[in-house]
Amino acid sequence: MALTTASAPVVPEQPGRGSPVARKRRGAGGGRGREGVAGYVFLSPWLLGLMGITAIPMLLSLYLSFTDYSVFSTWEDVEWIGLENYRTMFTNDPQFYRAVTVTLGYALVMVPLKLAAALAVALLLNRAWRGVGLFRGLFYLPSLLGGSVALALVWSALFAGDGAVNEFLAFFGITGQAWVNDPDYALGTLIILGIWQFGAPMVIFLAGLKQVPVELYEAASVDGASPWRQFWHVTMPMLSPVIFFNLVLETIRGFQSFTSAFVISNGNGGPVDSTLLYTLYLYKRGFAEFDMGYASALAWVFLLTIGILTIVLFSTGRFWVHYADGDDR
Amino acid sequence: MTAVAPHVTVRKNRFSAGQAVRLAVLIVGLLLVLYPLAWVIGSSFKSDAEIASNISVLPTEFTLSHYAAGWNSFDVSFTRFFINSTVIALLTVIANAVSCLIAAYAFARLRFPMRGLWFAIMIGTLLLPGDVLIIPQYIVFNTLGWIDTPLLPLIVPKALATEAFFVFLMVQFMRGIPRDLDEAATIDGCSPYGVFWHVILPLSRPALVTTAIFSFIWTWNDFFTQLVYLNELEDYTVPIALRLFIDSTGQSSLGAMFAMSVLSLLPVFLFFVAFQRMLVEGINTSGLKG
Amino acid sequence: MHPATHPESALPARPHRTLKIGRVLRGLAATAVALPLIFGAAACGDSGDSAGTDPNEKVELSVFWWGDDSRAETTKKVLDAYTAAHPNVTFVTTFQGNQGYLDKLSTQAAGGNAPDLFQLDDNMLSELAERKVTLDLTPYVEDKSLDLSKFPESLAKYGVVDGKQAGVALAENTPGLIYNRSKLQEFGVAEPTTGMTWEAFITWAKQVSDKSGGKLPGTMDPSADYKALWVWLRQQGKEFYNGKELGFTAEDLTRWFELWKGARDSGATPTADVIHEGNSSDATKQLVVTGKAATSWVWSNQLAALSKNTKDQLGLVAYPGNPNGQWARASMYWSGSSRTEHPDVVADVINFFVNDATAAKTLGIERGITPNLDLRKEVEATLTDANQKASLAFETQITPQFGAAPAPPPKGHAAIRTLLVTIAESVQYGKATPAQAAQDFISQAQSKLA
Repeated sequence: MALTTASAPVVPEQPGRGSPVARKRRGAGGGRGREGVAGYVFLSPWLLGLMGITAIPMLLSLYLSFTDYSVFSTWEDVEWIGLENYRTMFTNDPQFYRAVTVTLGYALVMVPLKLAAALAVALLLNRAWRGVGLFRGLFYLPSLLGGSVALALVWSALFAGDGAVNEFLAFFGITGQAWVNDPDYALGTLIILGIWQFGAPMVIFLAGLKQVPVELYEAASVDGASPWRQFWHVTMPMLSPVIFFNLVLETIRGFQSFTSAFVISNGNGGPVDSTLLYTLYLYKRGFAEFDMGYASALAWVFLLTIGILTIVLFSTGRFWVHYADGDDR
Repeated sequence: MTAVAPHVTVRKNRFSAGQAVRLAVLIVGLLLVLYPLAWVIGSSFKSDAEIASNISVLPTEFTLSHYAAGWNSFDVSFTRFFINSTVIALLTVIANAVSCLIAAYAFARLRFPMRGLWFAIMIGTLLLPGDVLIIPQYIVFNTLGWIDTPLLPLIVPKALATEAFFVFLMVQFMRGIPRDLDEAATIDGCSPYGVFWHVILPLSRPALVTTAIFSFIWTWNDFFTQLVYLNELEDYTVPIALRLFIDSTGQSSLGAMFAMSVLSLLPVFLFFVAFQRMLVEGINTSGLKG
Repeated sequence: MHPATHPESALPARPHRTLKIGRVLRGLAATAVALPLIFGAAACGDSGDSAGTDPNEKVELSVFWWGDDSRAETTKKVLDAYTAAHPNVTFVTTFQGNQGYLDKLSTQAAGGNAPDLFQLDDNMLSELAERKVTLDLTPYVEDKSLDLSKFPESLAKYGVVDGKQAGVALAENTPGLIYNRSKLQEFGVAEPTTGMTWEAFITWAKQVSDKSGGKLPGTMDPSADYKALWVWLRQQGKEFYNGKELGFTAEDLTRWFELWKGARDSGATPTADVIHEGNSSDATKQLVVTGKAATSWVWSNQLAALSKNTKDQLGLVAYPGNPNGQWARASMYWSGSSRTEHPDVVADVINFFVNDATAAKTLGIERGITPNLDLRKEVEATLTDANQKASLAFETQITPQFGAAPAPPPKGHAAIRTLLVTIAESVQYGKATPAQAAQDFISQAQSKLA
């Protein structure tokens, strides 16, 4: 609530929020009749996709998580083993704990820094000036490289013991590490890679900034608010739904990160399991060691854990996310 | 944070100190961000013998041969792979934009029974690591008889809004549109369909542009789905073709791979630069011009 | 069930609940599972008998392999030649880089859509054979319609899993040391020789390091390399695998790790971070190519491929120790799908690949050395590349000294290979002592092989 309250002097009352119509709507507890029908009409393609395409594979993977299933098993050979996969995971799998630790360290450092970089660059590139499009494109370029093979080769060339980063450091008289080839630093280079590809949240921030009505800034500067104050009391509250979206999605994607670790460590999570991100471990078990039953169990433990985290994020949202539609869901 | 300062003031003094600082920050940032890409481009001009041993940006002997050789490495040339990638990416853009916008409108603006539950399920579908879904999904599509027409498994799911990322993205954007606009329209006699058409659709441009950009780029770079569903060389896309250059145990044509990687960046880069323009000319343009 | 739980008190409650969830899930899953089974059965139901009766029946086989464009070109040429001889048989080919190959093959197999003919290697042969994905070729081998009599005996046997011919070697291969001949000449160090002891080899490597002034370590450290460990074990009368278990003990592995720890400490090998680069299976990352060591532990047929990535001249020699620790291995196999509608044709196509002279000459030695000994000479005459000739000459020279072939690695081999890399690296980086690491390996390996 702090943000919304603090912004009160600058942000004009959102008409939708406290207006009698809106209040009446909510009080009436809508959802029936014309709007209810329309709701399902608009929802129907998504519902069809859910039932027909998303739900069956998800349930099938849930089923497989209770079985001993190699990707090459014929269906008659799939053996129901109850909670065995889950039990093994928690009691007899050191690599599982290793993967959890690596992933936590990775996501908790990478996600906030990536979002900060994305927001900073988006703010710098928000205004229209000649050439801004080119700048945006250039900052987005690293993300265009995705998880390609070229990326793996670049990263090891930059962060190897004799790589460009160390040459740069040597210029300042610093002796570098073997970075990507050192179990103590390899995850750090992966974090840098994650931050480097900040293009997606940057674009979303840029689009979000377009939605902030300029009248608010004008009103604010008439009131003599400093740019810093405007940022906190206009930009931040108005941008909060988009910040919230980026936070939730980048957190989920951060925990699901796979491709960069996969290409850089050649699918192995090395050196010495130092880049064994959770989904990389899951992939290794499922596709390199063929144990898809176990991989499915790993996936469902992941779903439950990240699900809880997402619920927590959503519940904090009501304290700091400001919706112009006045529906603080 | 001069970025948020109103234009009116900055415009007068054409090159203020703040602007100079910002430009300096941007350029230093760009140099850092672009160095690895310069390396990729530089490597595409190195000979195969040099790529493995010379790790600096510039080649000692400059060669253009990888571009020509890489383009025609396979029975089918890269022209075909680029066309395939473009077709799939464009169809995905359209399918995602339409279907996700419709679903997002329902979630963001309409009230109907079980909305909360469906919303939670939609978010839930984002959470499961995709790797375990590949095989079950293949089985479903195989059952539906879609395997022999690769476009179906690649496009139909997108047309049914299965990319929850975009649905959620658009929901968040729509919730930033003041509700009194809808209400005004409703009072004017608009049905929910009318509100969608006359109010939400025009105002969703930033969200649609964002969706288009990401759909295009992510589809362009997607390896796994395309790997599973595309079988014949004529149907291959750029990411699959790029991995044909790499055989870790045998011959690898790294130079050709780098050259084609550089070329494969061009269409996405141009797509991005073209579409981000619409972010500038978005709904608040009138306000922006101050 | 926890062993301490009293059976009477616990049994009624818990399995009950689990079973119920199980039933619900199974019901849900059954919908999706049953359909492909029905479709699958309908698709290949009664065509099996008719295949043999009509020789002119139109047959279309799907073929899948991994590799680059030159492999694709030669493979397609051979398939076209087969079609020319058997106009009723045509092929639909798919090839893939080796990244993604297994993912696609497994997805297709799980969907009941495995290609009729596909390429495999040791990593997956046993897994697929035990899961009955591969066609049992034994009857065709026995009636000579798939003729393996011209193969070195150990090579023919190496495709047999649980008494069934699960795959047929498309090419033969042996581990080999590839060293930088130009640099040795520059430093004035003699080239390594076949039959050197491991200790003598390490001493030699140390000499290279010293002569280069510490700039070029003599050899890559192969302690994470399963094929080097395997050869070393066999030279001491042990095996890597004994059936479905490990054929060696923690003590053996400790000695192996200690051997190379000594080499590293003496400066015969590079440091751990450079070794890690070389542990990548990628040909372009091999230290002999990147100039970070004078010797790499690779395969004999890689001489040409590695030479392409360096300006220096390279040489090839056997792994240290007595060559009788080595055997003729399959570098790759052709296997058929157990669900193919045309098993006879599949077997005949495989036979064409390994026994037809023109096919052998078309294929060259890109996948490895020609498996058919009679055709090997004919192929030799067609080779023009000096490095390819050297690979073939090496193989010809070492073949008479081979020992007997072990069984192909059991299911779980892929996991064991990567486990060895992780554990050996923990020693290389000094995160574990050889003894600790060996213990870790044995205990984790057992659960991967179970």
